[in-house]
Amino acid sequence: MLDKILFLLCLASALADERCMPAGRDLMLLMLQYVWNENEMFLFRASLAFAMRNHMNGQQFEVSNIIVCNETMRVSFWFIVTSPLDTSQLIDQENVEAAIRQSRNRINSAFLLTDKTLEFVDILPTLATLYTHPTPPWLIVFGVVMGAVSAGIIIMLVSSVVQKKRKPQDEDDDEETRVKTVENGDAHDGIHNMSFSEDERFTKM
Amino acid sequence: MEKDARPNWDSPMQFVLACVSYAVGLGNVWRFPYLCQMHGGGGFLIPYFIMLLVEGVPLFYMELAIGQKMRLGSIGAWTAISPYLGGVGLASVVTSLYLCLYYNIINAWSFWYLFHSFQSVLPWAVCPINANRTAPIEECERASPTQYFFYRETLNISSTIEENGGIHTGQALCFLLTWVITYLCVVRGVQSTGKVVYFTATFPYVVLFIYLIRGFTLHGAVNGVKYMFTPKMNQLANPTTWINAATQIFFSLGLGFGSLIAFSSYNQYNNNFERQAITVSLINSGTSIFASIVTFAIYGFKATINYENCLERTRILLLNTFNLAEDTINMDNVFEWIEKLNATYAEQFNEIANDTGNCDLEKELATAVEGPGLAFIVYSEAITNMPLSQLWSVLYFVMLLLLGVGSMLGNITAIITPLQDFKAASLFLAGLVCLFCLLLGLGFTTTSGNYWFTIFNDYGATFSLLFIVLIEVITVSYIYGIKRFEKDIEDMLGHRPNWYWKIMWVAISPLLLIVLFVFYIVNYIMGGTPTYQAWDKEEGKSVLTEYPVFGQVFIALLLVSSVSCVPLTALYVFCRKRKHGKAHKQQHALNAVSA
Repeated sequence: MLDKILFLLCLASALADERCMPAGRDLMLLMLQYVWNENEMFLFRASLAFAMRNHMNGQQFEVSNIIVCNETMRVSFWFIVTSPLDTSQLIDQENVEAAIRQSRNRINSAFLLTDKTLEFVDILPTLATLYTHPTPPWLIVFGVVMGAVSAGIIIMLVSSVVQKKRKPQDEDDDEETRVKTVENGDAHDGIHNMSFSEDERFTKM
Repeated sequence: MEKDARPNWDSPMQFVLACVSYAVGLGNVWRFPYLCQMHGGGGFLIPYFIMLLVEGVPLFYMELAIGQKMRLGSIGAWTAISPYLGGVGLASVVTSLYLCLYYNIINAWSFWYLFHSFQSVLPWAVCPINANRTAPIEECERASPTQYFFYRETLNISSTIEENGGIHTGQALCFLLTWVITYLCVVRGVQSTGKVVYFTATFPYVVLFIYLIRGFTLHGAVNGVKYMFTPKMNQLANPTTWINAATQIFFSLGLGFGSLIAFSSYNQYNNNFERQAITVSLINSGTSIFASIVTFAIYGFKATINYENCLERTRILLLNTFNLAEDTINMDNVFEWIEKLNATYAEQFNEIANDTGNCDLEKELATAVEGPGLAFIVYSEAITNMPLSQLWSVLYFVMLLLLGVGSMLGNITAIITPLQDFKAASLFLAGLVCLFCLLLGLGFTTTSGNYWFTIFNDYGATFSLLFIVLIEVITVSYIYGIKRFEKDIEDMLGHRPNWYWKIMWVAISPLLLIVLFVFYIVNYIMGGTPTYQAWDKEEGKSVLTEYPVFGQVFIALLLVSSVSCVPLTALYVFCRKRKHGKAHKQQHALNAVSA
């Protein structure tokens, strides 16, 4: 009896090892930048089981259904998923991929990692698009600046028109006063002696 | 009371600031650092200063003297100096017009980047995601986020100059805004310009100073500054170094556009422009050096970041390929590990050999860029790596704006002042000029607009200016006469110009200009078909392309149209004088007969 079990076990493990070869299609590689130990591995297997349960409704995947092999010093390894109903049957790659893609966020969060640090080879992450604003923000700033500048121009133009309207009135006053001074000035008109005038010939900067 | 009294600057300080604001422009920021890097770092300062003394200051002085004496814009001033050479003024106006057409598009880009800085993530920091949400957009992947943002989202550039699309609405809006601002600054002539230049001349220095402090506290900035200032003296033996120094001084001071004549025509008659000329020229050169220190600090930072990113990528690649533990390789021993792994696992290493071992700090520093590429691609990339990048981005693009608007004011004034002298002026002359330039300039906001911009930038004002200033110097020294010019200066300043100035005007500067002129022509002919950098969408980089025939014809038209003003005007005046002369003779004969 014992021999049989051992054999089976051996067979099972031999089977497991065979299926877990890199050449097989049903395997995936995983690399992390992370502090890794046995507990983390358990968490990984548990989260994968969770992902499989989510994707294939009804089937109760257990941690034992996720088989890991070929671990290296670098945190990367291969894994395969077996069906809970029949441990000799593997879940095919498309299903596993879809399951992971669906729950990628949850798996990342379990490890507090991102798509960049937790990589499933050959599974492209579904990237989050940047938030697209209803009104592009640059248009808002543009509107503010344009409004301010236009207001400035209108003020300038209006003030120059107003100034021009005021000018004729001032000019009339000036004309009268100038006429008066000229009349007075005529009486004292003479020859202007240049020798006593101070010539500042150049302005200082 | 004089109704048409010429408006004046409120104070000589306004005039100096206006000249500084005009001369200190984008070229100080994006051309001088490039030249410094190309021609031996600190050693380039030697030819630069020699050219400043020999060519820059004397010609600057001369233009200020002409404007202040004649108290007219460039057309009126040159007609007054010599009726046959009024065409020089006209050529200046035409060249200024070409510049005004294309220069404001740079300000439009600055506005575009400025407005886009008000977001939590700078749009040129990350690549946008494609429609499938699986990866970033391909063009962005192949190029870089900053290049993608500039070429695709800002310009929406086509692949060659022949292909044309529609107008980029966002660009057109920003372009409209820049013209509205330009109009606002010149609407009241020197009254408004004089107030604006207080800000446009001084604030860029504030920003440069802030960036200097920020730059030097960045990681790796010292690498860049060291790289720039280590002089490579062997470059001094290269004649191109001296030619480039002369050309840079020449264009940096903005000679030949007629702006200096226009500005100084609003001066008091006895203003001491000699001191001002020296001051402004020195400030301009000082700013170039200051800006290049800042630029190289930023370069050093960017190069160091890129280098360290490259090392990090190599490290991850090695770790993944050879399945090593996480902390076996760190940043310091990447290169050791490369050698070790190459020795022990040669086959496996060969597969990834292309991606490793090409991290080189020297190479990163040596990538020199000039022009809009430096300002909008390289700098914005560096800004994304700084903490609080939105603040730095806003500061930087405001500085670019002020530098650009300050130079624009000079060039617009160079067009408006001569036209106002003709009394053909209406109240709306400034508005009409701005509207005209706006409408024509909208062509630069189309998808192939950047290529047309390059044509204008490279050929619109370079050759013509050399020609104009050469004619100017020869006219003043020989046709008008250096003695008359001396007397005019004495009249204004109270003393005659030094023997130094006279030697420069009569002999050295014309000689130097002729050398530059000949060199330019030879370069143009020897260069073969003119080429430009076209953006290849598939490859994600610029490709050298030849101009099509219509492009070359247009270049020729640009060059000929401004230069030909001089001989054509001379011919016109000659013909008119002959006609008048004949009419006079006939009148004389009649008088003689009747008497």
